[in-house]
Amino acid sequence: MEQAENPGRERILERVRNALRETAPKHAPPASSGPIFAPVANPFDRFQKECAQNLTECVVTSDMGASAAAVGEVLASIPAGEIFVQEAPELRRMVPLWQGGRSIRWSSEGGPIEASQATITLAEALVAQTGSVFVSSGCGGRGASVAAPVHIVVAAADQLVPDLDAAFARLRERGAQEKNSMLCLITGSSRTADIEKILVMGAHGPRRLVVVLALRAVPSRD
Amino acid sequence: MGDTLRRPTQLQKTDGMGSKACTIVEPMKKVAMFIPCFVDQLNPEVGIDMARVLRRIGYSVDFPEAQTCCGQPAFNSGYWQEARPLAERFVKIFGALDADAIVCPSGSCTTMVRNFYPDLLAGSSRAGDAAKVATRIFEFSEFLVKVAQVADVGANFPHRVAYHDACHALRELRLKQEPRELLRHVRGLEFVEMPYCEECCGFGGTFATKFPMISSAMGETKAANAETSGAEYVTSTDPSCLMHIDGILRLRKSPVRTIHLASILAQTAAPAEAEPASRGADAQGAAGKVAR
Amino acid sequence: MSTPAQEFLRNAAIKSADLAHRRTIRTGIDHYEAAVGRTGSRFNDWEAARQRIHEIKWEAVNHLDRYLLEFETRLKARGGHVYWAETAEDARRYIADLAARNNVRTVVKSKSMVTEEIDLTHTLEEKGVTVFETDLGEMIVQLRKEPPYHLMTPAMHLTRAEIADLFREKLGGVESDDPQHLVSVARRALRKAFFSAEMGISGANFLVADSGMMALTTNEGNGRLGSSLPRIHVAVAGIEKVIPRMEDLAVIWPTLARSAVGQPIACYNTLIGGPRGPNETDGPEEFHLVLLDNGRSELLADPEQREVLHCIRCGACLNVCPVFRKIGGHSYGTVYGGPIGSVLMPHLGGLNKFQHLSYASSLCGACTDACPAKIDLHHHLLQNRRNAVRSADRPASERLAFKLWRWTMMGSERFAFFAGVARGLLRAAYGLGLARTPLDPMRSWTKVHAAPAIPAKSFRALWKEQRGAS
Repeated sequence: MEQAENPGRERILERVRNALRETAPKHAPPASSGPIFAPVANPFDRFQKECAQNLTECVVTSDMGASAAAVGEVLASIPAGEIFVQEAPELRRMVPLWQGGRSIRWSSEGGPIEASQATITLAEALVAQTGSVFVSSGCGGRGASVAAPVHIVVAAADQLVPDLDAAFARLRERGAQEKNSMLCLITGSSRTADIEKILVMGAHGPRRLVVVLALRAVPSRD
Repeated sequence: MGDTLRRPTQLQKTDGMGSKACTIVEPMKKVAMFIPCFVDQLNPEVGIDMARVLRRIGYSVDFPEAQTCCGQPAFNSGYWQEARPLAERFVKIFGALDADAIVCPSGSCTTMVRNFYPDLLAGSSRAGDAAKVATRIFEFSEFLVKVAQVADVGANFPHRVAYHDACHALRELRLKQEPRELLRHVRGLEFVEMPYCEECCGFGGTFATKFPMISSAMGETKAANAETSGAEYVTSTDPSCLMHIDGILRLRKSPVRTIHLASILAQTAAPAEAEPASRGADAQGAAGKVAR
Repeated sequence: MSTPAQEFLRNAAIKSADLAHRRTIRTGIDHYEAAVGRTGSRFNDWEAARQRIHEIKWEAVNHLDRYLLEFETRLKARGGHVYWAETAEDARRYIADLAARNNVRTVVKSKSMVTEEIDLTHTLEEKGVTVFETDLGEMIVQLRKEPPYHLMTPAMHLTRAEIADLFREKLGGVESDDPQHLVSVARRALRKAFFSAEMGISGANFLVADSGMMALTTNEGNGRLGSSLPRIHVAVAGIEKVIPRMEDLAVIWPTLARSAVGQPIACYNTLIGGPRGPNETDGPEEFHLVLLDNGRSELLADPEQREVLHCIRCGACLNVCPVFRKIGGHSYGTVYGGPIGSVLMPHLGGLNKFQHLSYASSLCGACTDACPAKIDLHHHLLQNRRNAVRSADRPASERLAFKLWRWTMMGSERFAFFAGVARGLLRAAYGLGLARTPLDPMRSWTKVHAAPAIPAKSFRALWKEQRGAS
């Protein structure tokens, strides 16, 4: 924004600089300060436990071949209709193993449509501490992880990190925040507590989140 | 009690407007009483009872007559200019005393002196006195348990009693277990927890006069919770809370009564100990607050 | 034409007496407290988490210019637009112009207190734009044409039956008042809007300086849809929303979720760095971030109260406030209610107009204990009161009363004398049976209390007697 179009910018910055000439006091730390979160001893177990709690369906398979079959089973359980899939070699390879002759819209064609029954994507990372999936706009685009009633994530055990600190470290290592315009930590399926503060699953995002997790290490999305 | 030398203990104060630590070096035998202005005028039995308990556990008790008020009403209303001279007067009176500790039967008044005087008197000639007094002033239950290190004061009160966590005592002085420990050692006393015992009763000083509808709604909730607990008595460290809760309980003709913690602790099995002068209010037209 | 203070008194009195309303609030708060209790074990050291949040925000706010500039540079490098708005009017105009230039007919909006602060929805609607609130709670209050009730749960004052009736009337297709069913009704109603709107508007929970991304947290996924599907995404954020590093979110996200709704972590914690990237296949073509001052730089200039800008807008202070539990969210009559609102509004809107909120508190301190950012809320209320006495309009009678009170208290004999006179007067009045009548000298107290017992002798008199006797 040019200076002329946004004269307020300089004035705000000037006020901020003047305001900060005096530093504000800080609160003293508490007497005993341990780590904020206990270390995650067993990430694999913790991830599954958290998924059970936040109602993420976690399906563990031996390898990507078995994962393909598992995805096929999930697809068999949802209504007929087009699905939206991230354009990725691993997912292209899986298509023949999905029965039912569904029409597939690939992310290379654009975003999901209103009628998409499910989306299938890869992930940037899985986080054990909270049972979460970290996706990016590189995982089939922005809409892929939120537009359809069912979101299926195809992941591998070597993508699992113990906690949020490790997740951010992994993203930073891979330059994820530079390569993608969106990152999203997804924990469970969409929900709301706006009615009498009672938790209801399935608001505007997916009603079901399924993580198909292959144990054997496979090349990740990049 | 005895004469055993005790190691210094650190009292960690709250992060009010500054953090204070206080060192107690050895058993003390002489205390001065800070009797809040409204206790002096409306609840004198609280002061009498507190003195009785302190003497019973071996302290000599002084009441500096020059004291009036700590200045909290003005301070809480934003009138710090009016509160400041009162604060200076307070630390002048109590700073000059020979006593090892100042004991007060009110969490809110103790908070004023300990947590707020340092900021109120920052830059004043009395700032040093204020710091000294702040380290030597204690709420009554705090004094008994943490300083005198006595949980059993020989009290007898065979009733079911619930405890209201007065806000200043709870959140500014960080007292939670101390009053409960004292109550647990009272013979015959059955202690029950009220639902929402930590929720404010709604007095809040001038808040009660400025926003009476909110204040009384909060008091009604507190009264209803006291009734739900099945207690015969509600007690607390703060006479101002009790005055508010009592007025609401009696308005709704509740079976629950209020009594200050000091008055429970002053009760013993032997009726000869009771002093006629402390027998509550010879009230006209209103039921007395303390059942004996 | 009543003042905000008079309005507040009236509404607070009505709501305090409304037992059904109080029961609804209590039910909601009980759920909240239970959930917060359950998530405690997820933290090894909750106090350490609070201290970290405090330090993160302290660093950001006390170096605000540096972090704002870093954020802006990185966002713009990815093709985002940044507009610095000095006032609410400034921000509204920018967004309205943007909508007009782009022939925007429909907007999908996710919950944002700052857009309430600048009254954005009304402005757009006046210009013929249809605005769909997509946060369920906001949507409900929008349909009822009332403001949000609570920072975090805008419709917590309503029962499911009331919401069912509302949906039946406005949306159709309602078969029961089961919350699950009602949510699906709302979802169905809004899907068309999501897929057809030209513009999505959101707030931002945080502005991450070192990655130039805004952080947006929702449970419903409405913020995700609104920032993915429409062609233009506009986000509005107060200038104080910056945090230094992306890694700070590792502590912030779980702490915010616990304090806000008693969750381990929210469902969608999103980071948005601009419009769709050059190699990306979907996402908005344009992204605009509107930075709002609107009085924040003045609060920044007050080192004593600067930390009020550390607020992460979790709403915990409202949930634990015993006054809120009685009067509810609408009584405040302000965009920001509860303890944080009472502290903040005098700075955003003027002491004279909003000082009454700082007085409408018993100073119990529950808010300060609950605040995940360790903001000393109840002490800031005290400071607001002090500031009001120093520089705002207080009743002359009150100023005089405290002067007289101070004079009385400066001498123990005069105090004992005048207090004794007052006591004597009360005893006489009550002796004549005037308690709780219009002639009761303590009438304002005894309206809602039984008359107190007035002792014959003060403590100091009794003490003197005892000493004389021994």
